[in-house]
Amino acid sequence: MKIMTCPINGPRLISEFAYWGECKTMPEPADCTDAQWADYVFNKSGAPGVKHEWWCHTPSNTWFIAVRDTMSDVIEKTFLYGQQ
Amino acid sequence: MRLPPQPGEWLDRSAVLPFRFEGRSYSGFAGDSISAALWAAGQHTLGRSFKYHRPRGILTLANHDINVMLQTPQAMNIRGDVEALRAGMELVAVNTAGGVDNDRNRYMGLLARFLPVGFYYKAFHTKALLPLWERLIRNFSGLGKLDLSKPALHTPKRYDFCDVLVIGGGVSGLQAALHAARAGAQVVVVDENARSGGSASFQFGGSVAGLQALRELQSAVAEEPLIRVLTDTTAVGYYADHWIALIDAQCMTKLRAKAVVVASGAFELPAVFSHNDVPGVMTAGAAQRLINRYAVRPMQTAVALVANSEGFTAVLDALQAGVKVAAVADMRSQGPTCAARDAVREAGVRVLDGWGIYEAHSGDSGRRVTGVTLARLLADGQADTSTKEHVVCDGVIMSVGFAPAANLLYQAGTSMGWSDTVQQFVPAKLPAGIFACGRVNGVYDSEAKALDGQRAGMLAAAHCGFGSQHDVPHVPEALRCPSHPWPIVAHPQGKNFVDFDEDLQLKDFYNAAQEGYDNIELMKRYTTNGMGPSQGKHSNMTALRILARIIGKTPIEVGTTTARPFYHPVSISHLAGRGFTPERHTPMRALHTQAGAVWMAAGMWQRPEYYAVAGRSRMQCIREEAMNVRQRVGIIDVGTLGKLEVIGPQAAEFLERIYISRYANLAVGMTRYAVMCDESGVVIDDGVVARLAEQHFYFTTTTSGAATVYRELSRLNTLWRMDCGIVNHTGAFAGVNVAGPQARQLLASLTSADLDGAAFPYLGVREIDVAGIPARAMRVGFVGEWGYEVHVPAEYGAALWQALMQAGTGLGIRPFGVEAQRLLRLEKGHIIIGQDTDGLTVPREAALGWATKLEKPFFIGQRSLQAIAKRPQKQTLVGFTLDIPGMATSQDSHPDMPSESHLVIVNGEISGRITSVAFSPALGHVIGMAFVTPALSAVGTGLPIRLTSGNMVQAQVVALPFYDAAGARQKEVSA
Amino acid sequence: MPWRLLKFAMSDRHPEPRMFTPHGQLKSSYDVVIIGAGGHGLASAYYLARDHGITNVAVIEQGYIGGGNTGRNTTIIRSNYLTPEGVKFYDESVRLWQDLATDFDLNLFYSTRGHFTLAHTDASMRTMRWRAEVNKHYGIDSELVYPDFIQKAVPSMDMSCAGHAPILGALYHAPGAIARHDAVAWGYGRGADMRGVEIHQQTRVLDILTQSGRVTGVRTSRGDIACGKVLCAVAGSTPRILKMLGLRSPIYIHPLQAMVSEPMKQWLDPILVSGSLHVYISQTARGELVMGASLDPYELHSTRSTLDFTESLSAHMVEMLPQLSQAKVVRQWAGMADMTPDFAPIMGKTPIEGFYLDAGWGTWGFKATPVSGKTMSYTVANDRAHPLIEGFAFDRFERYALTGEKGAASVGH
Repeated sequence: MKIMTCPINGPRLISEFAYWGECKTMPEPADCTDAQWADYVFNKSGAPGVKHEWWCHTPSNTWFIAVRDTMSDVIEKTFLYGQQ
Repeated sequence: MRLPPQPGEWLDRSAVLPFRFEGRSYSGFAGDSISAALWAAGQHTLGRSFKYHRPRGILTLANHDINVMLQTPQAMNIRGDVEALRAGMELVAVNTAGGVDNDRNRYMGLLARFLPVGFYYKAFHTKALLPLWERLIRNFSGLGKLDLSKPALHTPKRYDFCDVLVIGGGVSGLQAALHAARAGAQVVVVDENARSGGSASFQFGGSVAGLQALRELQSAVAEEPLIRVLTDTTAVGYYADHWIALIDAQCMTKLRAKAVVVASGAFELPAVFSHNDVPGVMTAGAAQRLINRYAVRPMQTAVALVANSEGFTAVLDALQAGVKVAAVADMRSQGPTCAARDAVREAGVRVLDGWGIYEAHSGDSGRRVTGVTLARLLADGQADTSTKEHVVCDGVIMSVGFAPAANLLYQAGTSMGWSDTVQQFVPAKLPAGIFACGRVNGVYDSEAKALDGQRAGMLAAAHCGFGSQHDVPHVPEALRCPSHPWPIVAHPQGKNFVDFDEDLQLKDFYNAAQEGYDNIELMKRYTTNGMGPSQGKHSNMTALRILARIIGKTPIEVGTTTARPFYHPVSISHLAGRGFTPERHTPMRALHTQAGAVWMAAGMWQRPEYYAVAGRSRMQCIREEAMNVRQRVGIIDVGTLGKLEVIGPQAAEFLERIYISRYANLAVGMTRYAVMCDESGVVIDDGVVARLAEQHFYFTTTTSGAATVYRELSRLNTLWRMDCGIVNHTGAFAGVNVAGPQARQLLASLTSADLDGAAFPYLGVREIDVAGIPARAMRVGFVGEWGYEVHVPAEYGAALWQALMQAGTGLGIRPFGVEAQRLLRLEKGHIIIGQDTDGLTVPREAALGWATKLEKPFFIGQRSLQAIAKRPQKQTLVGFTLDIPGMATSQDSHPDMPSESHLVIVNGEISGRITSVAFSPALGHVIGMAFVTPALSAVGTGLPIRLTSGNMVQAQVVALPFYDAAGARQKEVSA
Repeated sequence: MPWRLLKFAMSDRHPEPRMFTPHGQLKSSYDVVIIGAGGHGLASAYYLARDHGITNVAVIEQGYIGGGNTGRNTTIIRSNYLTPEGVKFYDESVRLWQDLATDFDLNLFYSTRGHFTLAHTDASMRTMRWRAEVNKHYGIDSELVYPDFIQKAVPSMDMSCAGHAPILGALYHAPGAIARHDAVAWGYGRGADMRGVEIHQQTRVLDILTQSGRVTGVRTSRGDIACGKVLCAVAGSTPRILKMLGLRSPIYIHPLQAMVSEPMKQWLDPILVSGSLHVYISQTARGELVMGASLDPYELHSTRSTLDFTESLSAHMVEMLPQLSQAKVVRQWAGMADMTPDFAPIMGKTPIEGFYLDAGWGTWGFKATPVSGKTMSYTVANDRAHPLIEGFAFDRFERYALTGEKGAASVGH
């Protein structure tokens, strides 16, 4: 099974992790139009590439960021949020 | 026929194994494969082909074909060529009508001219007749028969680890293992055969020199403590990060390696000539395995068809086994000399250079080869029929070429290139940590193979940090080509098979290309080449060569189809393992069971649906449990609810952001209902928030939402970095709800806390002792009676339940389950998330507009709700009642009783849907909630509901709640 | 013996013409360019030519015909969806399926087997009844059935699922069917080809050319084409094409895996789907069991296989059908599912004039092959969404007008 490296617990089987999705920056709700807000809520980057993603190591409830190539599935690095 | 003991044979002649095949008795030895034992006993028709039901015998004996597919009462689709013989086996060939010798379906062969490639696409589809044809085709197809009465077989799985995994225990693999281990790596070698050695264990060329060398190598490996050799073990699939599935007869092992050496060898390819599938026509490897592993003389008189030195080596083995070799046709007009070829000539065997087999003959029954017609080959590979010469024989040995057994290399992401020198695909770009050696790497000469193995082993060990890559030996270039580029002879009558699993002949490929299926993938899918159980092992390379010639491209331009797991088919029992279905139980489980609980699943938890009472139906029990709550006091286990805490200076602010209502203004010691939405504004969870202190909140979630809510809140706080922490106490706390007119008296008897309405008001939360157990008690209104929800540390859960049950005996206490609670909450018009809401419900649709504080600075879903608020509302949740005479006394279901999900139909249009409905014993009529179009939501509106039968019943919209609108039962009513 | 097979015996030379005309160069312009020669793209080309007389069409395919999800799916055809727009849409598809083999003069092995969506919880039963009621309202043959009925249809099923998830009932849909997926692409392809549509395989789209918000052409690996209309039907590759136009969508790509057993004698008549166990199974005319489960849990633009997929699918399958532990899995594979937040497709016009999208097919695309071709060809020909696809508009998310289909699909097969 594929291995993901939790920044706290080290390399673990990927079945121990939950995938949330690509990191996205929330626009200021007061400053954006309804259409812009809907774009933030529903739309995705979609195409393959190297993405920053939220992942959680569920047994330890450790949330972190993984930088992963969504075509080759190569995980370039993982780090705690804010600790690039 | 069985030979005297052979050096290197795999038999234990002291163990004679009797068995039956097709109703007849045979015997073999321990160490035999089933096919070898049958061949030794003179049974040469071992199976019938899939489409034409032609008699088939041994072809590769290497599990690269499925000519011999057998069945026993215990097992289906057994591969006779490699399955170990066991005493008492009762074997039959699969897919025959009347047995393998006289299969009645053999007439299908006569229809062959009507059944060209893809014939089933061209016919059978007249609408009226397709069902009939389909039934016939379905009955005809399929191989073995599944025994439907068999119980599940559970085989445990294993895990394993090593530094270097070597796949294939032939000479190059063993050398790789040895050198990796000597560098310090922990090595595992797997080989699908009963013993290691690969081709060195049967390609003897009539001498034991190779066997001696192999034995020395095997001893060296056995003495090396860092090497484990697993035989009868197949690496069936390569997965991410060097995770390999190993299959043996008992189970599956999942192995993690740091590096993998693929030394899996090559497939021997059958030559293509007319009637090349007749029993007795076999590959050289098959003949040599028969002779040298199983001590079986494969035929009395052979003709050999060769295009490499391996072919001559095989002839020498045949001669040594007493086979008369009538002729050797070497398809190369100028094949290079080699020692084996010289020895064959010296033995007086006639060798014809530049000749091939035009056709094989088999007499009337077609069940055994009786001779071949040889012919000189023209430059384009066709036979020069003017030179035809008939040779009598009862066996043909073919050695015309190989294809790399590169499946696992492909699966690992290797790009293969084409080597003109050895006329096969070889690894061009290997992924990190993957190495290849031996014939899969295009290395055929014995010495070179050993060096190649050494090279790969050292590199693999270095990859793991052992030894160095610097003294890696240089492997000499190939001196000869082991594979003929076109081992194919056309024939006007066809029957020159390419894919033996699927009965595909040479012309099928030409026809497919003619029809436009002229790239490798379309050709595969249209012809089904390589789609049978052998998955193209003996046919893919040949098909590729044919296509390349048809479209005028090189093999690398044609490309290969995708190699996928599994290399050999894997039993579902091995994949399934023992199975593991965890359940979550509350600490009170045993007490519920004792009380007669009928269990139901709530996500991963088990909860009492209701408590069975002798002589009462399910519906009666549920109604009586509910009435007991209304009239006396009931107790329910609510321990499955999610229980979270948030603590810290920004705890209140955190809750403000995640729930739609306000919590900053919640007084210490009070609780408030809480609804959570997702970013699109859809309601996803609800619960109750209790403020224990200024900076300390304790809140609940639904049972099924607990884990995801906790996880998401953790993520949000990671993102927001607010000054507070979140704790998940779900499993750490047990909880009960005691409700009913006697609830206060019950609790008072077990606590010294002041339960007076002023001291402990409705919706309050207090930390009190109950029966000496430290507890958090909340006054809640979910079921609409005076009630307390009591949470205690889980280890006290059973004690709490027992204390309450005991204290409540005189008060008429009775446990109630999920169904009674559903009924009670419905009488109060309280929604259940996921039942009265769906994947699109926003708060205003579920009568939660009052709870939605859009004026707050921020909460999840707020911005979307603002956008949605501008649009017309699509549906509204309303309460309704319905009068059905006879409902009060009806035991269970009444024909006019609507169910959840029945539709509201107005003017022939779907205008709504029931989400909850039940007969209310407290009110005496049917009540329910439904989503309706807003136009139907006014109190008093008639709601026509369509039942499953199609009959309509009429309900009326009423205001919620149905029961005790003022709430006088559950709280203090101000004077 | 069908009479039409006699011709094969009469002739020494294979009497069959080419299905797909090989084309050399691309022309410099076409009226319509369709990206993707899968089932949907070829069906659109077919109906454009047959029903709308538009034949100056090129279908551009990066691989080979039907090589995407059309060649990888598990071939289940049904119309027992949850929402009115879904039901009407898929019902029309099932209608079209009935005559497809006759239209093509090609056997598609369209086999009506009956389809069970098993319910193991009361929440699931509620959803099944909801679907049954909506289906019946629109005249579709679906009903809620109970354990006796199910056991009779599959006598060897363990109704308690090894005691872990007892089956309470099922949504039974008699018209549920399977078909030979490759043949559908071939049939539509040949039909389009015969009518003058050009199919260009091994040709990649590199860019879509626009001017002032309107399509002007397509740049391919074999040259540029001028055209005023482009229909994109590329399933898992959709986001890559949309990116060329700067269009954002909610589509996310996850692998969807499947596996197949060795062929065995016929024993399983209906198609079985279990929402709680997240598995489904059917038996082909060749005798193989085709099995699948839920979507892979994270985004990946790859058709790689995992072992854990086969393990969990096998474990659950054996709970339901214990005898399966004797059967062997021959092969596993995957497709790339283009998922949407509301489990419904995205079809019709887009903000770019002349660019039409047929995407968001997730795990529900194969069954829609005929109706997607029908409706998209209408949409392209008339530059107006066909009524059946109005609910699947590209801009519905912006309007918070998602379809309600997600309730129906725990495993949407």
